[in-house]
Amino acid sequence: MAYRHFEFIEKHVWTLGILTAIMVSIGGLAEITPLFIEANKVQPAEGVKPYDPLRLAGRDIYVREGCYLCHSQMIRALRFETERYGHYSTASESVYDRPFQWGSKRTGPDLARVGGKYSDLWQRLHLMNPRQVVPQSNMPDYPWLSLALIDGKDIQARMRVLRMLGDPYTDADIKAAPKAVAGKTEMDALVAYLQGLGIDNEPQKPAAAQAAPASDGGAP
Amino acid sequence: MSNGWSLWVMFLVVFNLGITFFLFLWAPRAKIPTLPDGTSGHVWAHGVLREGVRKLPMWWILLSAAMFVAGFAYLFLFPGFGNHKGYLGWTSHGQLARETASNDARLDAAFQRFDKYSIEQLAGDHDALAMGEVLFRDNCAACHGRDAHGNTLLGAPNLADNDWLYGGDGKAILTSILDGRHGAMPAWGPQFGDAGVANLANYVLSLSGAPHDATKAIAGKALFTVCAACHGPEGKGNPALGAPNLTDTIWLYGGDLESVESSIRDGRSGNMPTWRARLGENDARVIAAYVYSLSHGDPTDTK
Repeated sequence: MAYRHFEFIEKHVWTLGILTAIMVSIGGLAEITPLFIEANKVQPAEGVKPYDPLRLAGRDIYVREGCYLCHSQMIRALRFETERYGHYSTASESVYDRPFQWGSKRTGPDLARVGGKYSDLWQRLHLMNPRQVVPQSNMPDYPWLSLALIDGKDIQARMRVLRMLGDPYTDADIKAAPKAVAGKTEMDALVAYLQGLGIDNEPQKPAAAQAAPASDGGAP
Repeated sequence: MSNGWSLWVMFLVVFNLGITFFLFLWAPRAKIPTLPDGTSGHVWAHGVLREGVRKLPMWWILLSAAMFVAGFAYLFLFPGFGNHKGYLGWTSHGQLARETASNDARLDAAFQRFDKYSIEQLAGDHDALAMGEVLFRDNCAACHGRDAHGNTLLGAPNLADNDWLYGGDGKAILTSILDGRHGAMPAWGPQFGDAGVANLANYVLSLSGAPHDATKAIAGKALFTVCAACHGPEGKGNPALGAPNLTDTIWLYGGDLESVESSIRDGRSGNMPTWRARLGENDARVIAAYVYSLSHGDPTDTK
């Protein structure tokens, strides 16, 4: 290769641009494409089932209200995280989360395994006005959640879409949905969702899981 | 990662390192045609700015060479080159396991010592109390408050007043933490009606000498036989059921007429979650010791 080739690249902006784009995309092609394409191979962890109608409604309210802007649902494999929040999160736990609620923005604590940590009443009081239970909290109030009712037909439509995407809902599940959410408020749904987070799907007791990191459900 | 994708990553790594390494070796030797004045002939601003041609400085060459050495060493030692696990066999989960084990080992001596003590004795141990206080604030303060004075909205009891729903010895406190408690006061509104509830509430208030309507209280006394099943004939409560003492001035859900009426009419459902899986016995014991110390004075407190 001679100098004149480089002079050509330098003097032709489109050539320079395309070659630069190729070089800077190498990292992304190596890091992102394999995991992205193989994501559908991740199997649900034992105990992980598609959300029941009430929790599904709660999950969508969680997303609607932007809870993810302050709360992650991803416990990293670092001691100070597992001490505080429990076993680190795995991909196989989030197969039915569309979109997933991972993240690193933590104005509030991680919620991946918050289910059962507090009572239902605590969750209600806390959502109505967090300062009723945690005086120094800076979380906003969500009082309107206790006013709106869940629409059963809407939940059925969501379940059908999720089934198209691969969630194993049966016809019976979808048919039973309106009954499961009848008379429930958005508050009921969100509390049900929060109280279910991480409780049925903690991979193993931490000691056992760390001895056998092979079962981490889909990490490369 | 499948072999196909492993090859894909290997190809990209070789491609990237190959091109950059070629440029690194070639660039210092490249013959750049120069004009008599030693510049490349590239000009900007009508010749005001001209591009000089100089040798790459040695510090730059050495630094770049060091980068390649570091890069190759990393790909050899750590995972990154396709499915190659790395010579060191490092994984983030393995590192977590090592760090957890070394921290557990650090705490082991303390917990072995703590094991020899009862909760009551542990409440006199400075180390245990310091540990218990941190754990209390991380886990318990959300309901019981940082000062452990409880929350009447939630029915989270005050833990610092030596008044106990389920017994206040170390063992009872530890059981409450590990296995949780579920206090269930049924709703009596449908059975007693509004007037009955009001009469009963006034009678309950009279038990602790709180301001009340004496006429209603007398009318309520007859109804109290139903309540006596859990709260006892004198309203002194029953720690086996978690039924609170109604004759003192300590109120789980508030002691004004309205709150007492609401407790009778709609019932109450107090729920202390179970902490066994979250905390484990060692942590629960030091928390129990800290809670015990709150109402028994801290003998190690020199303040």
